[in-house]
Amino acid sequence: MGRSPAFLIPFVSLVAVVASGLQGAETVWSGLVIAENVAQPQPIPPELTRIEGPLKKFFGYNQFQVIGQSQKSLKTGQEDWLATSKFFGLHVDAQGESAVGYVLNLKLYKEKELLLETDAKLSKRSPLVIKGPQVGSGQLLLVLVIQ
Amino acid sequence: MKTFEEKWTAWLDGQLSGRELSEFEASLPDKAAAQAEKGDVRKLGALLKRELGVSALTNEEFFSHQLRERIRESSVPSAKGEGRGSAWWTVPRLLWVGAASLAVFLVFTIFVMRDKNPAEESQYLTQILNARVDPVVSPNATVSMFEVKQDRVTVLWTEGLQSLPADYAAK
Repeated sequence: MGRSPAFLIPFVSLVAVVASGLQGAETVWSGLVIAENVAQPQPIPPELTRIEGPLKKFFGYNQFQVIGQSQKSLKTGQEDWLATSKFFGLHVDAQGESAVGYVLNLKLYKEKELLLETDAKLSKRSPLVIKGPQVGSGQLLLVLVIQ
Repeated sequence: MKTFEEKWTAWLDGQLSGRELSEFEASLPDKAAAQAEKGDVRKLGALLKRELGVSALTNEEFFSHQLRERIRESSVPSAKGEGRGSAWWTVPRLLWVGAASLAVFLVFTIFVMRDKNPAEESQYLTQILNARVDPVVSPNATVSMFEVKQDRVTVLWTEGLQSLPADYAAK
């Protein structure tokens, strides 16, 4: 009886480690972002914190505000979802999972009008940023991040 | 050639005989006093044997006694050490130590393998397979794409899309 726990240690450890490796569903954050230059910029939303530097560097704006967003937990890699604002809609259709991420079809709508369509392999460690149309003095950006 | 003291000791022990005995007794200045002393020594010996119970060791006994003492002294520390070691490394403890070592090995192995994979994956950036803009809505629009490996960000860059009024920035 006293020996059985000793034998269990490696197996329990193995199961715990393997289970931690199979964390399962990953969450894709998709957002419609308005980038602007303003006198007193608001803090960047937490979803964009990890790409704050590249956003400012590439697009030259000092404020980024989320006007629409969606968080989708992918289980099969075949899900689809929509991130919307009042006038824009980003439809994301996942078309399969690979070792490094997901294959996605993206469609940007202005109301019911299709403005842009793209297919991308979204990597788990590499966000995707799409420059959309000019909106007022700012710029519409589409951001997809696997969290 | 025996000295006087050796002969005296032998005489007291009754080990002189024959001519050697008669010569020694003749050399004694006061034979009566010597006999009295011899009697005292024998009485003293008998008293010690009787009262203390200590038997004088013969040479053989003394030698074997010393040997046994040395063997005991030299064997006691090692026996103690062996006893301590065998007492700690019991079978259950060996099992626990073995199992714990195996668990640590498994955990480290799997974590090292998991850390290795992300390092390899980090080389893969998001890839844009294709991009299309509606030519009717935005006839002059162009698309380009670039990957910034340093920041691990992929950007789809559009130019010439129809500009929209600020109202479209509404949530």
